[in-house]
Amino acid sequence: MKSLFAFMKKEILEQIRTGKIILLGLLFVLFGIMNPAIAKLTPWILESVADTMESSGMVITSVTITAMDSWTQFFKNIPIGLIAFVLIESSILTKEYSSGTLILSLTKGLERFKVVVTKATVLTVLWTICYWMCFGITYGYTAYFWDNSIAQNLIFSIVCWWVFGVMVVALMVVFSTLAKSNTGVLCGTGGVVFASYMLGMLPKCSKYMPSYLTDGNSLIYGLTDAEKYMPSLIIAAGLSVICLVISIPIFNKRHL
Amino acid sequence: MDMLRIDDLHRRFGEKEVLKGLNLSVPENSIFGFIGRNGAGKTTTMKTVLGLLRPDRGEITVAGEKVEFGQTATNRFIGYLPDVPEFYSFMNPQEYLYFCGEITGMDKKEIRSRTDELLELVGLQYEKHRVKGFSRGMKQRLGIAQALLNRPKLLICDEPTSALDPMGRKEILDILMQVREQTTVLFSTHILSDVERICTDIALLNDGKVAVQGKLSDIKTMYRSDEFLLETETEADLVAIQNAFPFVEKIGRTQLTFRERKHTQFDVLNFVTNHRIRLSKLDRVEPSLEDLFMEVVDK
Ligand SMILES: Nc1ncnc2c1ncn2[C@@H]1O[C@H](COP(=O)(O)OP(=O)(O)OP(=O)(O)O)[C@@H](O)[C@H]1O
Ligand SMILES: [Mg+2]
Repeated sequence: MKSLFAFMKKEILEQIRTGKIILLGLLFVLFGIMNPAIAKLTPWILESVADTMESSGMVITSVTITAMDSWTQFFKNIPIGLIAFVLIESSILTKEYSSGTLILSLTKGLERFKVVVTKATVLTVLWTICYWMCFGITYGYTAYFWDNSIAQNLIFSIVCWWVFGVMVVALMVVFSTLAKSNTGVLCGTGGVVFASYMLGMLPKCSKYMPSYLTDGNSLIYGLTDAEKYMPSLIIAAGLSVICLVISIPIFNKRHL
Repeated sequence: MDMLRIDDLHRRFGEKEVLKGLNLSVPENSIFGFIGRNGAGKTTTMKTVLGLLRPDRGEITVAGEKVEFGQTATNRFIGYLPDVPEFYSFMNPQEYLYFCGEITGMDKKEIRSRTDELLELVGLQYEKHRVKGFSRGMKQRLGIAQALLNRPKLLICDEPTSALDPMGRKEILDILMQVREQTTVLFSTHILSDVERICTDIALLNDGKVAVQGKLSDIKTMYRSDEFLLETETEADLVAIQNAFPFVEKIGRTQLTFRERKHTQFDVLNFVTNHRIRLSKLDRVEPSLEDLFMEVVDK
């Protein structure tokens, strides 16, 4: 237990001292503010371009902005946040192979599964904090300017997206135990997500794909029942657990 | 008792068979030099001992316990310094040794005292900077400190001196000499003068096997050189000897060497006596490890 905590402490210290936590924090706070800000500024932006548009023959009628616009922005921007998260953290394990820092810890008697557990925990917690912080900020501003209650299934749609992110984190962990470098991690994780989107285009399997969870707009506009999200939610959660569980024996067999 | 025993170790990488039945036994409290040229398989052997590589065949025991690949319990006996030690660059030496102590499960008080003691031993006690800017030599010292932290019975160092300047090398060798009372040292190298300086035992790795192994002194007698050095008083005498014996080698104005397998010492001395040549010196040349190495490798 002690060695697990020691390794976790080291991991957090690394995240702090290499500036990753600050970077991620800034990024997700920025996204959190940007979602309502863009919604708020839309009429103003439209107005300022209205003149030029008019001369080209387009007439812009005044728009009413509601909380929905802010949440639409949220679902539009959060994928960028997740991609940034994956890029920043993709080398969390592979860097330790290539530099050889892990060899010293392991030859000191640190059990291998503790490495996987630590990395998975730190990633999941980081993602959770970043994501919900971004959500909280958007929620606060949106409540201040408009009325959040018009969005249906809001919390459920947010949870769905969070689960999707957790699945991506689990994919990162399992590909980190398989790959030699972070390129492998990025390709593997990206590949699975891409495949899920591709298969999601087929009407028959779309609702079983984890990528289905990222369609938050349909939920908040009430276009789809929350019920319909259950299969993909269960599949994403199941896949996350499987990824995390198999990464331990994979890592145990790895040559370093 | 043997601190480390390797029996019939085989390991291949793809098509390339690197270790072809390696046998090695490292006696307790020795400083064991593990010699082999680049690519001979020294690092491969050490990594297998540490359970980082799975052997194709063979058995390894450390302090009487069998080494398992993956979850390697025998590592609690071992301190390891890799060929290019890398530490978490965002920590300073104290923090790093602390971290090492914690993952080994030492208690706080012991970690603290051991950290101070070791940093002083390797001369890093005043170093408060992070590892990031460390030179090779400083990393090597921190590497030794971390390897010794939990008082290992066996210290394994992979080429601890090869990247260092002569001063740095001497310092590292001195540290290895100092820790000899507490632990058995196995270190790999291709710098033979380092071996002659501190080793009690050696093993020579060639073509995937241990070609020679044993006490350094025994090996030196066993492979006693047949080379003699002879010095005459005048150059003319030297020329006379040279003319009589075609295989002597002139190495100075009045000095030459010859090998017994070409001309026996009795023949040469007979000639010297018959021609009343005055000698200032006749010496048996001590075999250097270099010669030994060449001889084994050439075979
Ligand atoms: N992971 C690997 N994959 C493929 N080949 C390898 C691997 N590790 C080592 N080898 C090969 O095994 C041989 C032995 O390598 P090893 O590193 O053990 O040599 P060494 O004696 O430590 O050499 P050096 O003095 O240069 O450190 C080399 O020819 C190397 O190419
Ligand atoms: Mg090597």
